[in-house]
Amino acid sequence: MGQPPLVMRHATKRFGAFTAVSDLSLDVPEGAIIGFLGPNGAGKSTSLRMALGVMQPDSGSVSLFGKPPEISTLKRVGFLPEERGLYKKMTTRATIEHFARLKGFTARDARARAIELLDMSGLSELKATRISKLSKGMAQKVQILSTLAHRPDFLILDEPFSGLDPVNQQVLEDLIRAEHERGATILFSTHVMEHAERLCDRIVMMARGRKVFDGTLNEAFNALGQGARIAVSEGFDLAAALAPKGFEAHRAPDKGPADAWRISLRPGTGAQDALRAAIEAGAPIVGFAPEEARLRDVFVSLVGEADAAALVESTGEGATA
Amino acid sequence: MRNVYLIFRRDYLGYVKAWGFWLSLAAVPLFMLIGGTFAIFAAKSSPVRYYAVVESGSVYADAIDAEFARDEADIGNQARDMAEGMDLTDDQRDQLRDNAAASSRKFIRVPAPATAIDDLRPYLLGQQLVSGPLGDKPLFAVFIPSSDGTSLEYWSDDVSVSGLRWQAEAAMRRLARQQAFSEAGLGDNFLDTVDDSALTVPAHRIRTVAEQTTAGSAVTMADKAPVYVAGGLAYFLWLMIFSIIQYLLMGTIEERSNKIFDTLLTSVKLPELLAGKLLAVFAVTSTMMLSWGLFAFGASLFATSQIPGGASLLSPFLAAFANPAIIIPGLISFLLGYIMYGMIFMALGSLCDTIQEAQTLLSPMMILLMLPMFAIFIAFQDPGSPVIDIASWIPVFTPFLLILRMPHNPPMWEIIAQMLIMAVTAATILWLATKVYRAGAIHGAGIGDLGGVFKRMFRRKKG
Repeated sequence: MGQPPLVMRHATKRFGAFTAVSDLSLDVPEGAIIGFLGPNGAGKSTSLRMALGVMQPDSGSVSLFGKPPEISTLKRVGFLPEERGLYKKMTTRATIEHFARLKGFTARDARARAIELLDMSGLSELKATRISKLSKGMAQKVQILSTLAHRPDFLILDEPFSGLDPVNQQVLEDLIRAEHERGATILFSTHVMEHAERLCDRIVMMARGRKVFDGTLNEAFNALGQGARIAVSEGFDLAAALAPKGFEAHRAPDKGPADAWRISLRPGTGAQDALRAAIEAGAPIVGFAPEEARLRDVFVSLVGEADAAALVESTGEGATA
Repeated sequence: MRNVYLIFRRDYLGYVKAWGFWLSLAAVPLFMLIGGTFAIFAAKSSPVRYYAVVESGSVYADAIDAEFARDEADIGNQARDMAEGMDLTDDQRDQLRDNAAASSRKFIRVPAPATAIDDLRPYLLGQQLVSGPLGDKPLFAVFIPSSDGTSLEYWSDDVSVSGLRWQAEAAMRRLARQQAFSEAGLGDNFLDTVDDSALTVPAHRIRTVAEQTTAGSAVTMADKAPVYVAGGLAYFLWLMIFSIIQYLLMGTIEERSNKIFDTLLTSVKLPELLAGKLLAVFAVTSTMMLSWGLFAFGASLFATSQIPGGASLLSPFLAAFANPAIIIPGLISFLLGYIMYGMIFMALGSLCDTIQEAQTLLSPMMILLMLPMFAIFIAFQDPGSPVIDIASWIPVFTPFLLILRMPHNPPMWEIIAQMLIMAVTAATILWLATKVYRAGAIHGAGIGDLGGVFKRMFRRKKG
């Protein structure tokens, strides 16, 4: 085993009075796929920029393959920034070639690799096309290929799915899996929980600059416990009604004609028990669903409704009662 | 170095692949060619015009002819002086003088076809032609003494051409003086005699005895060429810096708006990135200016090859250019000056998000650059001026003024001290600009956040 691709210890980054990242410790072991989750402004991008040495932490430490981030170790890293950008007047092939060369490829190898990647991605027709002529999604695809061009050992992808249509999101998911199978360690940030659910074997959740969870998906779901979702007529306080019966209810961040509540189930109780208790409490029930645990719910339970609402807002997801 | 090269290569190719680069490259030689051709054509096609003087004798006509003859002699003598620097025989130099004098005459006197203005009207309006040494032509102008004898009236259909009238005015003044001197008993040619008897003031260059023995004391082009070459170099540096403002500002804005810094900075170090970019712009402007310079040099070679013995006109300039005492400090000043100004522009560009923001910066930068331009102008006129002495110690002026002072052999300690000042200033600017660039490019600071930028850059890091 070599050095772990990334170790961050108590990293803190402030911008004036604002603390973007506070006391973040993170381990990314070799071969892992880790999802870095949180709403916009949670500190994900700042953390990744610190991990890459683009930004220095005000306190704490960062170690990339056992060393502080430096160009020699960064040659083993492929980074896709959140704010996408390429030279608009360069062709797709020249772009991939340029970034491969910056990572140490010879001119000949870089060219061959660029052609290989474009062929592999079905973009061979666009080899000589300027970036400015491509659609936004297409240009993003080229940037992802540039990130992979030098066959990095460690991929850091900042919001890789944003801006891609569903088809290309699936293509990217497949690409991430393929890179993982090749042996790459992957750390990607997202605010779309479903991608993390499908891809990750470990997740790190951030809210307001702090790490609020770090563990496997199973650990996340266990932390949440089982739940049920009950919708009641507007204005009815289900939390107060269920509290005497030993059930904890939180207002769900869903929008709809009725008030949706999520009921946390204690071990040994089922969704039907919660429904029965609500009926007994005289709740004007308009909807009921036993709940399959989702990462988003884990996030809600960890960070509270305000941050959860921010997450829902940033993903643009609607309510599911 | 590899990363510097790769950044340099991408930026350089990015610039030279743009059609605007080739347009700029072609525009200057093209305009030089068009301008030169136009000037030659204008000189060659400038018409020789006929004029007449209506008078019973030839007093006025002779006076005007004499005035033209004086001017032609002056032009001929100037050509003869220039020919002194050329590898020609005396006969050839005289021939050059005569040709220059003859080709300068643009007005020829012909006999007046009539004496009254009404009778001359059809000739002046081009309805009738007059005969002369160059064939039949319209009469361009005629001089007629007024009836009261107080003026010599100038009649022409084209009053915008005033050369002939000015010559006549000068001739009449000279005639009046001659008549006055004659009436005073001093003779008709008194004025010319007095002028001829005035002492000449030939210039001599003082040298050491040994140098004077071999080189003589006469002032030649070899004495003036180093000043011209140094002036050219200083102006070239200024022009280069002037023309890179837009490249550096716009290039950095493009990268900032393309959001590409993070990707780049995980592949190259910031100083490598800046060095590559600075070199690329240097190479782009050098490519343009060297191309223009080579074109101008080629044109000069061609022009001098057309003049017998003309090749020797260029040799003093080439010798001055190859003189290490001028060219080595010149190149060092050139390089350090470029780094100083280039880094300032690049750092400021990194703080701009839009072209509009950059445009607001252009005016103060232009004004900043006009100061060295004024200094260059003053130094070229009077390199020993105390103002220039003082200004040459101020880093924003030093690169230009040190180059200009080199032909005047300033003390060695001054050269070394000024180079050191430039080197320290360039290093300081490099350090500061890197910090500003980092703040702009990475932290997203804007031009309005300069205070915050400096605060951030000097804040001590914890942990």
